[in-house]
Amino acid sequence: MINVFGKEQMLSDTNHLLSDDQIADFVINGYHIVAPQFQSDFHERVYQELNDLPTNPGDEINKAVPKIDDVYEHPAVHGALTSLLGSDYKRAAHRHCHKNHPGTRSQTWHQDSLNIPTLADGHGRVSDHVQSVLAMYYPQAVTEKMGPTALIPGSHLFTASTDRNASNGNFRDQVVAVVPAGSVLILHYDIWHAGTANTSDQVRYMVKYLFERANESAEPSWNHDPAKDRHIFERLEQDEAAAMQRSLVSKRNYRRTTMWNNIAGKAALKYEYRDKWSGDWPKPNL
Amino acid sequence: MSNEVQKVFMSQKQRLLYLSSQSTDPKSPAISQALHEPLKGTIVEIDPTKKGIDYESVHDAICDGWRVVHFPDQRGSLEGSEVEIYGYQFILEKMEEYVD
Repeated sequence: MINVFGKEQMLSDTNHLLSDDQIADFVINGYHIVAPQFQSDFHERVYQELNDLPTNPGDEINKAVPKIDDVYEHPAVHGALTSLLGSDYKRAAHRHCHKNHPGTRSQTWHQDSLNIPTLADGHGRVSDHVQSVLAMYYPQAVTEKMGPTALIPGSHLFTASTDRNASNGNFRDQVVAVVPAGSVLILHYDIWHAGTANTSDQVRYMVKYLFERANESAEPSWNHDPAKDRHIFERLEQDEAAAMQRSLVSKRNYRRTTMWNNIAGKAALKYEYRDKWSGDWPKPNL
Repeated sequence: MSNEVQKVFMSQKQRLLYLSSQSTDPKSPAISQALHEPLKGTIVEIDPTKKGIDYESVHDAICDGWRVVHFPDQRGSLEGSEVEIYGYQFILEKMEEYVD
């Protein structure tokens, strides 16, 4: 029995928790997509209710359209959030519904602002931990012309300046959230992302909730198998996310491993030297 | 409009192409691009319908007629910097005729 937003709830089974490889995917890429199952017209009704709102309710979006809370409390979403933030994660006060009209232009690449003036470093980025995530719910299918959210895989590991990024357009390895209706895109809070231009004739909604870690992990809160540690360590060291300069790669790998260890508690990965260079001689260049 | 008449209304304008590369070597793979067209009201947008970018490298763009007008700073890497920027940015230009 666990406590979710003040309600006692039984986790149906451990199947909704993420696997080691899914956690590694999140650490490497900074995002995870969940497809919670609802009745066929559920998301259509949410879309209609959003469309009927006369004004933007801001943080009160869940009161204006209570069905949205059902999405975030769905066991599949809850399982993913538990896996990433621990079983006692909290829902932050900030929520927002983005209404993207046809003709809306693209945003520039950015990391979401924390807007906390008391932060000594001015940004409060946590490049080696999962302290908070953005969870973006799309009540309608999103095509590539409907202003899908674009993101740069792996960019959550780096602190960006939005001003500096303003001169960037398309990235070679960017991904765009072209997703079916009802998808929930869970993002590391620090990932570089942007809403793109809506060149379709349909309004695209995206509802954003913010979830936060309440406590440091004593042990993995996902389906962890210690036998996979070596495999995970190799993935964190080798998997590519998006191309970057060589000088950032070692910093990236260090932060990946630290991030994993920070959320794994006592199951932290232990570094052991191994010879990665033995084997076949290179073939002659003919 | 005939070609002769059209020429009267044409002027040379600067197109700018920002290309970020994996290193300061213009032949290293390009990571990102942004094309700034000399037309009022245009902005650089992320195009979600586009797969990849137009040029494999700065050198590839040079071969297509672009001219480098800004080279990335070679004085040191950003490894110790608090702000981490993807790639080394080159700025290229191409002068082309536009109808005013």
